[in-house]
Amino acid sequence: MRLLRPLILAPMLAISLAPIFWMTVQAFKAESDALATGNPWWPDHPTLANFVTLFTEPQFVGWILNTAGVTVATALIGVCASLLAGYALAYLGLPHSRSLVLVFFGTYLLPQSVLFIPLLRLLAELHLLNTPWALVATYPSLVIPFGTWVMWTFFRRLPRDLVDSALADGAGLLEVLRDVLLPVAWPALGTVAVYAVAVAFNDYLYTTTFIQETSGQTLWGALGALVSADISNPGESFAAAVLVATPVAVLCAMFAESFARGIGAGVIET
Amino acid sequence: MRNPARLRGSRALALLLLAPAVLLCLLPITYALALELWFSVSSAAPGTDGGFVGLANFQFLAGLDSFWQMLFNSAAYLVSGTLLKLLFGLLMALALVRPFPGRRLLYAGLFLPFIFPVVLGTIAWYFLLTNVHGALDYLLQGAHLTQQPLDLKSRLPLLSVVAVNVWHGSALFGVLLLAGMRSVPADQLDAAVVDGAAPVRRFLHIVVPYLRPAAVLGCLLSVLGNFGDFATVELLTRGGPLGRSQIVSTFAFENALLSGALGLGAAVALVMVPVYLVALAVAFRLIRE
Repeated sequence: MRLLRPLILAPMLAISLAPIFWMTVQAFKAESDALATGNPWWPDHPTLANFVTLFTEPQFVGWILNTAGVTVATALIGVCASLLAGYALAYLGLPHSRSLVLVFFGTYLLPQSVLFIPLLRLLAELHLLNTPWALVATYPSLVIPFGTWVMWTFFRRLPRDLVDSALADGAGLLEVLRDVLLPVAWPALGTVAVYAVAVAFNDYLYTTTFIQETSGQTLWGALGALVSADISNPGESFAAAVLVATPVAVLCAMFAESFARGIGAGVIET
Repeated sequence: MRNPARLRGSRALALLLLAPAVLLCLLPITYALALELWFSVSSAAPGTDGGFVGLANFQFLAGLDSFWQMLFNSAAYLVSGTLLKLLFGLLMALALVRPFPGRRLLYAGLFLPFIFPVVLGTIAWYFLLTNVHGALDYLLQGAHLTQQPLDLKSRLPLLSVVAVNVWHGSALFGVLLLAGMRSVPADQLDAAVVDGAAPVRRFLHIVVPYLRPAAVLGCLLSVLGNFGDFATVELLTRGGPLGRSQIVSTFAFENALLSGALGLGAAVALVMVPVYLVALAVAFRLIRE
């Protein structure tokens, strides 16, 4: 294995990083030689101009703010709702709580694209179409099933005494959640938050379906127009993409192992 | 174990704590599912609910060659994509399972395609594979391997889509299998991955049984993810040329949003439900173990 390792890892790493590297290069190209001419793998005249000028264009600033707002809201709502639901299902002795947990788990596996057509109608009735609120209203439904499942399995593995002794000492049920469970639940909450960011960063179906006005788009929805050449300034587009995606992606990649533990929660023994 | 009187008092609180999850997730999903079932047997269009048409939408689809082609494409996409991701994920896990200098950095680098926004990844691949000054053609022509543009997106559209999907998703199998390998007793794992007399056979007999839950979970997520995938196909090929890479969600999108036949689109999307139910049965067996 030691001899094979570089033979496996070198090509895999090269292919994994090539498209990301290519995209980064485009961000540093002068607007005149983006995409159509020159060496696609290296900027002939490296420049930071794209990173500066994109902030003078309201549409880019709008897309970036929409993306940031939707992502943060999805993570906050997803994490809070999952924490509360996981706590209620694990500790508060509801009848049929186990079946309810399985309902959440089953919902987690439902492909996102099964329901986009009726959701479009639902959002139209709520007058949320064409604004980022359409995504704030729907992304949490993709996070909460996974999040509740992760929080529930996490709480189930904690020693039972932790909560029982606090209750015996006279703590209220909400105090137990705040003072006893919250301080130890950070790894599980982090997993749910990373998952929420992944949902918001990987969706294209909802954002193109629910938001047809360009000004209400997220960066990811708006950049889709690149492949149909509907964006006149690809250099700035790639600069915006790199600016938003890279730091978050690198941060998430550093937490890959705890993310994998979360995805495998209740299935893979660790 | 706990005070029953106290638990009875907590029931109202439990329902209160569950309320956000139910209101933001279970309720809209149930409503949407019911609405989708109605759409699929109706002539609904944007702005109107239409009338009941029985199974006309399904009968219409069954008579379309493009529908059957789309089903074949979807099946090929999820089967070949899943198997290839499993293979590359396994290679990644095997190469990373034992400590070595720089392992953490490599791990993060290989995980990057999975966490990198799939829209951006696919856009990048679009320009790598495009026949107009494509970045891949540039490399190959620079090395004098080809003269003409390869034009893979038009000539092998389904294979191109699978390739991008494998690029994006292999790392998920990798991290799941790595987590699974941690459950293998250390001495047995060492014996199995060290170069030796019969490493392959030892690997199959000793390590693979421990990896089964991780592999099954990865396959479940991949099958359902690929079946519901939209971004990869929509951005790389738009289902074309001539429907040769059309899959369920792009087909539903075309019918419902571009042509305005909500009923037809809903009927197409419901095609996913049987596969989902089978996957659900597998998943419930897996978590019961």
